[in-house]
Amino acid sequence: MSRLSVVHLLRANAVVFSSVVQVGDSQHIRLSGRALAVQRQFEYVDSNEFPLAFPIFTKPIPLSPVDHEHVCRHTLHDCPLIAVHSIRIIGVSSTSVVHIGSTKNVEAESRVKHIRQLTERREQHARSRRSD
Amino acid sequence: MNMTVVNHHLSVGHIAIGGVASASLVLIGDSETIQLASAFDTPPESLIIGPFPQKQNNKKNEEKR
Repeated sequence: MSRLSVVHLLRANAVVFSSVVQVGDSQHIRLSGRALAVQRQFEYVDSNEFPLAFPIFTKPIPLSPVDHEHVCRHTLHDCPLIAVHSIRIIGVSSTSVVHIGSTKNVEAESRVKHIRQLTERREQHARSRRSD
Repeated sequence: MNMTVVNHHLSVGHIAIGGVASASLVLIGDSETIQLASAFDTPPESLIIGPFPQKQNNKKNEEKR
């Protein structure tokens, strides 16, 4: 199962966080990525503040089962050519794949946790609302 | 089960993509198995109303005056 991939133009601005852009055939693609995004109202950085022990990073994600039923597949390449004129991509991120060509197995796992910290001024806010 | 696949000419003109993110796949071609999983967690703390909306309220109060 091999095909010839001909790409005239491929333009990708950013390929980040364990992502792949592949032109041509491949066998196995296995990607894994973990991200902890902390946004604060005030600038404060401490790389040891959060251990990467949140349940989202450890819990197993149940994957859809692969059907192991034996399929007798015959693939006939009448024209073994994949012709692409142009592809324009702004961003590929967090274990994603852009693949031009044939592949066998693709496995990707992405785990993202967002934390936003704002200043605790809810009481003040409630008081000002009451005065309205 | 028997299956026959005949690949004829595959030709793509132009594709414009904004973003491919969080265990996603754009495939021009064929594959046997694809398993993609993505988990995203954002805590309820993200809903705290901070001082930024309060500033907007102050502006409204000033306008009233």
